Amino acid sequence: MFESLNDPVDVLSAFVEGRIEPIRFRWQGRIVRVTRVTGRWTRREGQSRLQYFALEDSSQGTYELFYDPRGPRWVLSRAWVAGSGG
Amino acid sequence: MILLVDMDAFFASVEQAHHPHLRGRPVIVCGDPSRRGVVTAASYEARPFGVRAGMPLGEARRLCPKAEYVEGNPEKYVALSVKLLDLYLRYSPDVEPFSVDEAFVGLQRGTTMEHAVEIAREIQSAIEATFSLGASIGVGPNKLIAKMASGVKKPRGLTALDEESFRGVFWPEEVQSLWGVGPRLATRMRSLGIQTVGDLAHAPVHALKGAFGIIGPQLIEAAWGRDDTPLTPCHRPPDPKSMGHEVTLSEDSEDVAFLEGTLLRLSDQVTRRLRTEGYAGRVVAVKLRNRYFVTVIRQRALSSHTQEARRVFEVARELWRANWSGGPLRLIGVTVSDLEAAPDAGQIELFEGNRRDDRLNRALDRVRDKLGDSSIVPAGSLAHRRELGHVPFGVRPNPFSKNRSSGA
Repeated sequence: MFESLNDPVDVLSAFVEGRIEPIRFRWQGRIVRVTRVTGRWTRREGQSRLQYFALEDSSQGTYELFYDPRGPRWVLSRAWVAGSGG
Repeated sequence: MILLVDMDAFFASVEQAHHPHLRGRPVIVCGDPSRRGVVTAASYEARPFGVRAGMPLGEARRLCPKAEYVEGNPEKYVALSVKLLDLYLRYSPDVEPFSVDEAFVGLQRGTTMEHAVEIAREIQSAIEATFSLGASIGVGPNKLIAKMASGVKKPRGLTALDEESFRGVFWPEEVQSLWGVGPRLATRMRSLGIQTVGDLAHAPVHALKGAFGIIGPQLIEAAWGRDDTPLTPCHRPPDPKSMGHEVTLSEDSEDVAFLEGTLLRLSDQVTRRLRTEGYAGRVVAVKLRNRYFVTVIRQRALSSHTQEARRVFEVARELWRANWSGGPLRLIGVTVSDLEAAPDAGQIELFEGNRRDDRLNRALDRVRDKLGDSSIVPAGSLAHRRELGHVPFGVRPNPFSKNRSSGA
């Protein structure tokens, strides 16, 4: 089951060929290592453009994070963790 | 030739692409899954269970208890829809979005059916490779046939029909299968003895006209696969109606020299954008907002279109002087409207005797293109920027740069 969240997270990311590539992030006390970015999209909020990422980790968990340049900050908006049911 | 690209189970497929553990599983996109609601979209794996869009969630849970319920994200789907349109533009400039998950792609006049099918296959492959999504494509000589062909085989189908093969496929079908015939129109047609698309094609024109008015003969034409509806490419940004720049001052100000310098810089920025994007404008407006958020906007038309900072600034300054009561201002802006395309500024300014200014503007633009917008600024705006100790426009200077002393 997906969990809808709004959790600020610490993210380590790289900038590659003009794109942000999240590498890993800390959530609920554990480090989540990103194995693949499976989707990208943006959303406008006022004059800011939030950058969203769908991510997969090594244990088949998937997440949706967004980067808000106004903070700047990273926020975990949705998570599905293997074995969490659903 | 025209293609109609129809994304397969779009919303559900996007969620499966973004969350690989959902692939191959029944997925139901809805509102908040914990609340009552309806199915927004169902993946192909959920459809054999009878789940359909619009079905109450309770019923969907009974039919497909093992489905994964995902709260829909319309902004995500719209953003992806726009990216898909950009992909289609690689194959043709004539792209007409039909819905969030469908678009017409018009191919060059003279394209054969075989070549159109090749292009359709390339588009399908590109969508799969770029987005991990499936699409079904209809190919036809007009929008009607392309649209109806797209639904013949799904998912990941590709169906090409000409007028003759269209009739072979669709004449035996129920009349409601014709694009444009909804349930109520179909009921009325059946009451006239028209059961199939083929029946409609052979119905007397006068009878259809009498029953349905002007659309009667059009429906008969459609039943024959004939449609001359033009493809209207609309995936292009609209021409701008105006261009403007405004700035909220870091401190409210009634300093005349500072405000004038700010107007000068704003005029410079607006006209640079006009030149960069190939427009000239004729109406100059100034926006003034005081500390009480009372906003005044005044405008004046020039005698001719311009891209020149000097001309815009002179009008902006007059408007500011005429409408400013002298109190501290919080925000100041300059806008140029009544735009027309002006790819060659020389033509605009030629008859105004401003060729020298035009050459100067273009030289300044070349420097800024190379070194950044804040590399050269009007002298009248420079002193105030230094006093403020910040850069209201352009790139913030690096305090550790070896070139710090060069200023702006």
